[in-house]
Amino acid sequence: MEAHPTAIVHPRAQVAINVTVGAYSRIDEHVEIGEGTVVMPHAVVEGHTRIGKNNQIFPFASVGGIPHDMKFRGELAYTEIGDDNVIREFVTIHRGTALGKSVTRIGNHNMLMAYVHIAHDCNLGNHIIMANAATLAGHVEIQDYAFVGPLCAIHQFCRMGAYSFLGGYTVATRDVLPYSKTSAPRPLGVYGANRSDLERQGLSKEDIKDLDAALRLLTRSKLNTTQALEAIEAREFKSPHVRKLVEFISTSQRGVAR
Amino acid sequence: MNIHPTAIIHPRAQLAGSVTVGPYTVIGEHVELGEGTEVISHTVIEGHTRIGKNNRIFPYVSIGFAPQDLKYQGEDTRVEIGDGNTLREFVSIHRANTLGKGVTRIGNYNLLMAYVHIAHNCTLGDHIIMANGASLAGHIEIQDHATVGAFCGIHQFCRVGAYGFLGAFSGVNQDILPYSKTTAPRPLGVYGTNKIGLERRGLPAEDIKELEAAFRLLLRSKLNTTQALEAIEARGFQSPHVKVLVEFIKTSERGVAK
Repeated sequence: MEAHPTAIVHPRAQVAINVTVGAYSRIDEHVEIGEGTVVMPHAVVEGHTRIGKNNQIFPFASVGGIPHDMKFRGELAYTEIGDDNVIREFVTIHRGTALGKSVTRIGNHNMLMAYVHIAHDCNLGNHIIMANAATLAGHVEIQDYAFVGPLCAIHQFCRMGAYSFLGGYTVATRDVLPYSKTSAPRPLGVYGANRSDLERQGLSKEDIKDLDAALRLLTRSKLNTTQALEAIEAREFKSPHVRKLVEFISTSQRGVAR
Repeated sequence: MNIHPTAIIHPRAQLAGSVTVGPYTVIGEHVELGEGTEVISHTVIEGHTRIGKNNRIFPYVSIGFAPQDLKYQGEDTRVEIGDGNTLREFVSIHRANTLGKGVTRIGNYNLLMAYVHIAHNCTLGDHIIMANGASLAGHIEIQDHATVGAFCGIHQFCRVGAYGFLGAFSGVNQDILPYSKTTAPRPLGVYGTNKIGLERRGLPAEDIKELEAAFRLLLRSKLNTTQALEAIEARGFQSPHVKVLVEFIKTSERGVAK
């Protein structure tokens, strides 16, 4: 083990020889860490936690902490993580509860992006990707090769099937079909000019009037984007900001939200 | 230079004379910090990261780590941050992959609130505000004076135009028009009394029954709020909790969600 002098590694922790432990991280007494795993500065691994080989644990990750479950009474419970996982910054992985399976389990080759939360008694398979801030409640099962989009939330006891894709911002309160693309719709609306900020930033009344009118042509008329741009040209707005608006739209790669 | 004794700073890191670095900060070899920048505490900065002048970096920030991109091969890519920015707690800013210009860039006088995430290859201009939890995927461009609301999530390669305002909780996968107010609708519904919560917290059955009746008047009758309050008065409910409910509605500044 190669531990930074400021790392706090309990003498009874079982840390394999070629594990790196970064500055100010903490490895508690009942932790086992397998070969080749890297624990970066300020990460915390506590509880009865077993971590396998070649994992990367990024700064500020918190592994093995006590659950949010108010039924948890300090009972003996475990966290088990396999091999080749990437656990990014601010990820929280909580141990199991006695009323559950007493263990929270994560398999191999998984990527947990920043801010992901794995609650008590969850069970993750292999080759899963969870994008930023995807959040699991307790007892959730995620099967192999699933993708959980950013800012998703999965209700307790739900399952995500193998090879499924859950689009960002989805709150899943039922099981997600394997092999499916499942997503919450993400409607977006344009509500005219950003008047308050434009005034605050010192744009003139005429600028704001012109922008309002241009945006109305774009979003409230029956015209499609191309026709709206033509109509804007025809109106010959004075404001240079309208030119900027038109420029932005003309150079859009993904299309604009309307 | 004002460096706390517990800060761990690589001898080859380049810190300007008036930089302050607080306790338990970790700063890597290829990091530059400009005049007047303050790193308050517990922050980790690594990679080829150049940070300008007079920035204020709050505790538990992570800057310069590898992108969350499975294509990344460990190349020496960069993060560049300008002057006068405020980075709040738990902000994460990742270095680029080699696509594009190989840099993640943030301009000047931006406010990134707590939990904001800036992914690889993003480009932020100046005077931007990103509220709590706002998250950018890779290669996103945010233009000057834009506001990104709390917990927004933006798909890779999208742009947010200058002076644009993106409302909270918007999931975005197209460009956001400059100068516009764009937002996802945020419907909210009231589904009656919090019966289970009230039982668990020991409210007597009679109180719960009266509250349910009061809620029915508020939500399920054809009455507007004022009429509903009159009808509740007229019913002469005994429960003090109904009085609390009524008082709350009467003193509402913003109106109540119904």
